Amino acid sequence: MRLRAGISAALASAAILLVGWQAGAQVTESNASAVTTSAAGNTAGTAGGTASGTGSTAKGTTGSSASGSSSGTGAGSSSSTGSSSSSTLGASAKAGGTYAGTAVETRFGTVQVQVTIKAGVITDVTALHLTDQEQRSVQISARAAPLLRSEVLSAQSANVQTIGGATFTSEAYLTSLQAALDAAHF
Amino acid sequence: MKSQLLASPGQRVGTSPGQPPVPARRNPTRGRFAAQHRRRMFRTDMLTVALWASLAAALALWLADGGMSSVGNLTQAVTAVGILAGLAGMDLVFLMLLLAARLPFVDGAVGHDRALEFHRKLGKPALYLLLAHGLLLATGYGMAEGLNPVSEAVALWTLVPDMWLAFVSMALFIAVVVTSLVAVRHRFPYEFWYFVHLLTYLAVAVALPHQFSVGGLFAEGTWQRWYWLLLYIGTGSALAWFRIARPVIATYRHQLTVRRVVPLVPGVFSIEMSGLRLNELSGNGGRFFVWRFLAPGMWWQAHPFSLSAEPQVGKSSRQPTLRITVRNLGAGSARLASLKPGTKVAIEGPYGVFSTAARSREHVVMIGAGIGITPLRALLESTPFAPGQATVLLRCSSTEELFLGDEILELCRKRGATLFHLTGPRSANTQSAWLPASAGTSRLRDFVPDITDADVYICGPSAWARLVLAEAKASGVREEQLHYERFDW
Repeated sequence: MRLRAGISAALASAAILLVGWQAGAQVTESNASAVTTSAAGNTAGTAGGTASGTGSTAKGTTGSSASGSSSGTGAGSSSSTGSSSSSTLGASAKAGGTYAGTAVETRFGTVQVQVTIKAGVITDVTALHLTDQEQRSVQISARAAPLLRSEVLSAQSANVQTIGGATFTSEAYLTSLQAALDAAHF
Repeated sequence: MKSQLLASPGQRVGTSPGQPPVPARRNPTRGRFAAQHRRRMFRTDMLTVALWASLAAALALWLADGGMSSVGNLTQAVTAVGILAGLAGMDLVFLMLLLAARLPFVDGAVGHDRALEFHRKLGKPALYLLLAHGLLLATGYGMAEGLNPVSEAVALWTLVPDMWLAFVSMALFIAVVVTSLVAVRHRFPYEFWYFVHLLTYLAVAVALPHQFSVGGLFAEGTWQRWYWLLLYIGTGSALAWFRIARPVIATYRHQLTVRRVVPLVPGVFSIEMSGLRLNELSGNGGRFFVWRFLAPGMWWQAHPFSLSAEPQVGKSSRQPTLRITVRNLGAGSARLASLKPGTKVAIEGPYGVFSTAARSREHVVMIGAGIGITPLRALLESTPFAPGQATVLLRCSSTEELFLGDEILELCRKRGATLFHLTGPRSANTQSAWLPASAGTSRLRDFVPDITDADVYICGPSAWARLVLAEAKASGVREEQLHYERFDW
């Protein structure tokens, strides 16, 4: 009886691990293509980021974050009436443009975003680089980035909730975004 | 009936002298208990398989997520092992909770005490795995960020949402395991241990947030998240149903009240209880219930005691009753002697497989010592056997300690069981130290020649019982024929 139980348990466990392994290999394969495409996107993105030359504002981020967040909430509350908020904001933001945030290092890779502002309204956030150090991170960031983008667009600030299961990505994303907003004097 | 009281094998009177000794069968395939026994063995095996499979599944969650491909260097390897340790450790915690949940399937297969014994064995491995999980991840993450594990742990605590809860959970797990260590446990009253043990539920609950918010494996939208959530929900509902709902239902269903307390000898007494629908509880002789006597100052103490008499429902009883026999072993049980008639009683159970449910053979041997004699009385009363197929050995230091001895003698006469009284100081012979000195060089086989083809029920103090178990095994009795009830846990 003991022997039978032992053999069955070993076989069952081995089968489960094998199925898991196999499923994992498939995930890896499908992600391999995802990684290459995102890598291609990243090189272009990083080039754009360095062109705007905001990498040096990394240290200034914390200093100006207070004003950045306060203006963020102001814009967020009046986001429905975009024209009125744009008139109250600074002249520099009125001009609009594209600003890249700082590159934030996390244990799962670098995160850097770029924000597009038109007439005092955040119209777009694009990810120049997302967490990618492990297969898992690619999946997580691929899922979290669109969610964060839509949250930011509706809140019109970096004051949004982190995404469950993507804490590191979210925090880095929002930090980089805040830096970009600060650079834009948004 | 030919059965009679016997003091030593020399005086044994054969119950059916003409019958040749039954040859031992290694695998019983015949007899009325064969099918039941096969079923029980199958269930035991299934439990073993389920246990290992669940552990494999926890690791497979990570493998299926492409875990292996994420291991490229030492840092990632340390992190990966840390994640796996957390998965395995948490899976063991779920298993431990399920083993303590008194699932009828588990109880019917291996019995309550063996399930709890295994529960206890898993405690330390589970804690070590969870500690390794914390240390390895702090190290792995720290290596990735160029921090030492301590500053990484501090950073995790302060910066990452829900991580402080994980640290609290770890502290609670440590507290639970430490207070459960035998050495520590004996220094505190049972109730202290019990209430600290309840913190396990809190520890498991506060461990959840960081698994789902920080752990990428269980990110939103993954099937792994659903699997893990089901484990949480399944374990939680099993505990709520079997440990809370079912006992409450049983208590209301049977409405037990103390009828009278009958002293046997100083320090030993029987508690008779009457109630409703007791016929539903009959046939459970030898199994135990957890009793709570709802009197001031006593209601919060839970006492595990076996029945010492089958519920009496038929004929003479206007009021159906059942009975337990208690020896004054501690402050808790001493107070039971002063129970007032009419006290309400809450029950959980019946639990354990020290009953007919564990029978595999036609022959049965019952060996009891001290207060362990009393559950045998209820078993003797109800378990099926033909005259001459049962042997009862009662061990005690003096005839005064032969609790319920008269009733057992009467039952043996009525049913045709051979009874031995083994009284007196213990034997100096270390090999048969479970026997009294008067037994001389007798061994178990001398009392029960056909023991290899019998179910052997043993109930008594654990040190004594270990000696009997050892001798039974030496006599050729297989593990699955041995049924052992601990009453000192």
